[in-house]
Amino acid sequence: MKAIRAMVLVSGDPASIAQGAHEVYQRLQKEIKAFGLQDEISVSMITDVGRHDALPMVIVYPEAVIYGPVKPEDVHFLVEEHLYKGRIATRLVAPKKELSGRIAWLAARQGTLPAEQRIVLERVGLIDPDEIEEYIVHGGYEALGKALTQMTPNEVIEEITQAGLRGRGGAGFPTGLKWRFVAREKRTPKYVICNADESEPGTFKDRLILEGDPHNVIEAMVITGYAVGANEGYVYVRGEYKLAQARLRKAIAQAREMGFLGKDIFGSGFDFDITVHAGAGAYVCGEETALIESLEGKRGEPRIRPPYPTTHGLWGMPTVVNNVETLANVPAIIRHGAEWYRGFGTENSPGTKLYTILGNVNETGLIEVPMGITLREVITIYGQGMKNGAAFKMAQTGGSSGSIVPASLQDTPMDFDSYARAGVSLGSGALLICDENTCVVDLARVLMNFFRYESCGKCTPCRVGTERAHQILTRITEGRGTLADLERLEKLSQGMRQLSNCGLGQAAAVPLQSMLQHFRAEVEAHIKLHVCPAGSCPMSSRRVTTAA
Amino acid sequence: MIRFTIDGQQVEVPEGTTVLRAADQAGIYIPRLCDHPSLTPYGGCRLCIVEVEGIPTLQTSCTLQARDGMVVYTNTPKVREAREFVLTMLFSERNHFCMYCQESGGDCELQSAAYGEDMTHWPIQPNWHPYPVDASHPDFVLDHNRCVLCRRCVRACAELVGNFTLNVRDRGSKTMIIADLDVPLGESSCINCGTCVQICPTGAFIDRHSAYLGLDAEVEQTPSVCVGCSVGCGIEIATRDNHLVRVDGDWEAPVNDGLLCEVGRYQPVRDERKRIVTPLIRKDGSLQEATWDEALNLVAEKLKSLAGRGSDGIAALASTRLPAEALYFFQQLFAEGLGSEMATSTDGHAARSVIVNGQAGSLEALKTADCVIVLGEDLVKDHQVAGFFVKRALPQGTRLIVIDSGENALHELANYSLRPRPETIRDLVAGILAASKGSDPSQPDVATTSQRTGVDADTIQAVAQVIALAQNPVFVCGAGAAEAAEELAKLATSFEIPVIGLGGGANSFAAAKYGLDKAFTVNGQQAAYLALGDDNPAQDLAQQLANVPFVAVQASYVSPVTDIADVVLPVEIWAELEGHYVNLEGRVQEARRALTPPAGVRSNTEVLQALAQRLGIALDGNWLAELGLETVVA
Repeated sequence: MKAIRAMVLVSGDPASIAQGAHEVYQRLQKEIKAFGLQDEISVSMITDVGRHDALPMVIVYPEAVIYGPVKPEDVHFLVEEHLYKGRIATRLVAPKKELSGRIAWLAARQGTLPAEQRIVLERVGLIDPDEIEEYIVHGGYEALGKALTQMTPNEVIEEITQAGLRGRGGAGFPTGLKWRFVAREKRTPKYVICNADESEPGTFKDRLILEGDPHNVIEAMVITGYAVGANEGYVYVRGEYKLAQARLRKAIAQAREMGFLGKDIFGSGFDFDITVHAGAGAYVCGEETALIESLEGKRGEPRIRPPYPTTHGLWGMPTVVNNVETLANVPAIIRHGAEWYRGFGTENSPGTKLYTILGNVNETGLIEVPMGITLREVITIYGQGMKNGAAFKMAQTGGSSGSIVPASLQDTPMDFDSYARAGVSLGSGALLICDENTCVVDLARVLMNFFRYESCGKCTPCRVGTERAHQILTRITEGRGTLADLERLEKLSQGMRQLSNCGLGQAAAVPLQSMLQHFRAEVEAHIKLHVCPAGSCPMSSRRVTTAA
Repeated sequence: MIRFTIDGQQVEVPEGTTVLRAADQAGIYIPRLCDHPSLTPYGGCRLCIVEVEGIPTLQTSCTLQARDGMVVYTNTPKVREAREFVLTMLFSERNHFCMYCQESGGDCELQSAAYGEDMTHWPIQPNWHPYPVDASHPDFVLDHNRCVLCRRCVRACAELVGNFTLNVRDRGSKTMIIADLDVPLGESSCINCGTCVQICPTGAFIDRHSAYLGLDAEVEQTPSVCVGCSVGCGIEIATRDNHLVRVDGDWEAPVNDGLLCEVGRYQPVRDERKRIVTPLIRKDGSLQEATWDEALNLVAEKLKSLAGRGSDGIAALASTRLPAEALYFFQQLFAEGLGSEMATSTDGHAARSVIVNGQAGSLEALKTADCVIVLGEDLVKDHQVAGFFVKRALPQGTRLIVIDSGENALHELANYSLRPRPETIRDLVAGILAASKGSDPSQPDVATTSQRTGVDADTIQAVAQVIALAQNPVFVCGAGAAEAAEELAKLATSFEIPVIGLGGGANSFAAAKYGLDKAFTVNGQQAAYLALGDDNPAQDLAQQLANVPFVAVQASYVSPVTDIADVVLPVEIWAELEGHYVNLEGRVQEARRALTPPAGVRSNTEVLQALAQRLGIALDGNWLAELGLETVVA
């Protein structure tokens, strides 16, 4: 009996043929015979493999390794390495599809802490996001199958709750609890919304997940739908993320074709489908209720809460809104179990966190690290140290809506609770590392400018507060500030934090507070001495030096 | 019921009541700008914050629902400080220099809130940026410098009026109130209802007619009823020194919830017609001043000589803007006393359509309707407030079916727009009835109806189905549907659908009940008596009367009809009269005197009474009983 253990496909589109696909095909047959493998390996020529960069291509299943461009003279090596010896012929592997951002991989080093854990980024950058088969080969849709066929919705929620997964959009709300709130609602239809309106400056983790592993998010959404009893999902993608949208749409079409979306998934009787909706460039639409308003076709303004989306979300129905990164954790948790997941990160913040490192460090890019790593570790290990050997002064977390973390907190574990205790917040996962040449007032002014531009204008404290704060900060950077301005800023930050309707206005106050709390001397230097100690404000290029 | 405490005071309110509303009921005032009882809570201005025991953050009382045992404080130092912060923000946002604003001194809710906090200044620099002033609208000016972006106007335009003209542009501090896609108000889709002006808490919307003429505290407010049409909206007439300053919608009124249309709000203040203040008698070809006795005697003498004569007797016409008391006297005097065969009202046959099926539907039904069928009435043009109720329900998914052969702006908004050939409405309604019932041999089939009316058969079928499946359908019928009254009644009965009949004028319902519902024609009558009141006579009325030897007119204003009259009897206008109006629902409402009439002018009832006395005809005052209303809704 012939037992085929591997299948080799050769791209046979006209372009491949023009570049010698036929010769490759013939050489493959010859070499396989030469190695005596003809009874266990099949070779066939297919028309189009779906990509047109490295032609001709040779694809080997079940590993789904794509080789290309393969020249006839490479075939011997390929057959010997992969099919005879069973190793991937690395030299010939086709270049991966590009992502629009950089992932900073650590070179493997033994015994070095912290170990780089890859849960969310397990496949990102390693598989072809346009090929559902590659996702499946790497364990994709296994979790969905497990959830739908072996678990009750309640067990799924229990697993997520046990895993201690917390929302990665910035607030850190327990995901299992949120799901339970929706699951217990009697009214239908319910909805699952994936918040992919990633608009925090410098944050691009969600984009790379969607570009590199869209099926992971799709699988997670179906699982979420099953858990809470929803049959419809929406991905609200930031409008500028064209590549992510295209890959997501393609992935959804493939998932539908394979029956992972649509009616009666895995024969479980459960139906689910997903619609992709592109945002239109408003930062505030990342706020879940504004997102829902926008999805309903209205002006993107946050709603009054309560009621929360868990009871009154899209079209007034119970709705789960989860961030991309949060969802990307779900399949792995279901696949490996809560116990496994709890092995990463800290007690109250299990799992890993994605950060985008940027600013004055040597290496920038996206990293995935366990919760609880410190800022110092991020800078030295992942950032490869500060640029030009300058001193680390502060980090802005979470794009704009996080805190300004002073150097004194660089050894505080970066997890939800430790940061909350230190009075700072993790935000969405951008780490803007600033060195001593960055002026804190200028940084606060730039951030405030962002908020004043992005405030939706619905509530007074945010609409006017950001404008007034920006006015005052500008005044200070220009050397026209007064000490009374500090009191005003204090009042403004307090008022915005206490009285704003949504997170935008509340977050806008945070940099002000961080600035006044940790860098007051520097601010006062601007006012009293008309000097910018960092030398970056327009009023003064004089640096304060210790020499008299 | 929910029991909780506000500032130590026990309060009991129905479930779902917000803390702000509960405080209002308890007499505890919490300052607010964006909230308004007629609008859905918005939570934008953040001025109405309160402290609640057990909740660490301050809460906006306008969005916070009262819960049992809640302990709320509205006046703690924390609350006051936060309130002052919000006010500081608002004052520094645009130009809020009160001394230059016509709202300041009590009418401005922003200023009053600041006074309430003992604020004399704000500790942050003002924004010196000038904002545009939109003065393109004929009735009001929008001064963006005074705007606090509370969106009451935007929400009122959408939620209450259903016109969706006002909107918001940009975001953050660049946010601006705009009309349509940012066009000047005067060139926008605005229908001049003025609700935005009435609801604006500051001086951003300035009423051109009443600006600087009097603050709320300086004018007298008289609750009354609008006599513009048969809807009968509740109004507040603002007067000062016996001058009309402004007409506002009465937020408490059961019919209109504070809404008014252009006709009710602005027509009275724009009125520039010439008033008649003394009786006039035609002498030597021209009208000359006379005494009341001379004028009344002359009319009485003439009428007496023609009493009891049929077609060559007296033609009498009364405006439906007259109060029910006057219409009833008019009917007794002319139809009964003088035996006129042509004693009717200005609404003629329109008045008849009011009462389809023997009873009047309530406008309230429109507020819960999931399907509205409008027949023969352009609610965008006439009976506009009823139109607001329809239009504002559409975004909630209410289906609109419009059946009208003529021009009707509602056609554009309708889910099903049916334009039958002229004079085939009756066939169409019969066809729909037949289609909705399945096969009924006594009714024409859909194909025949389609052929006769020119309306697509599928549409007829679909409409019949929508009506049959609707949970709360409502018919709204105007004059154009009068011919189909019988079929409508059948359709309404078979599906238990309320019918709202829109009569023409304010008292069409009463006129119809008194039998004043013939079409007015003049055919050989030797005298005509026209009780016009302050109405504008129909364009061809003077022409119709050209060959009548003697014309007596009871009117407030000079018009083509008074120009040809032999005797003119000056009477009170709407704001001067006292009396009752019966709206299209059969609701009896009282009009109150807000202005003292000029000396020499008499009331409509007085004039009719004086004539009756001279003619020896006894009048009774049973106007209410004669309406034949089973229950009187006041």
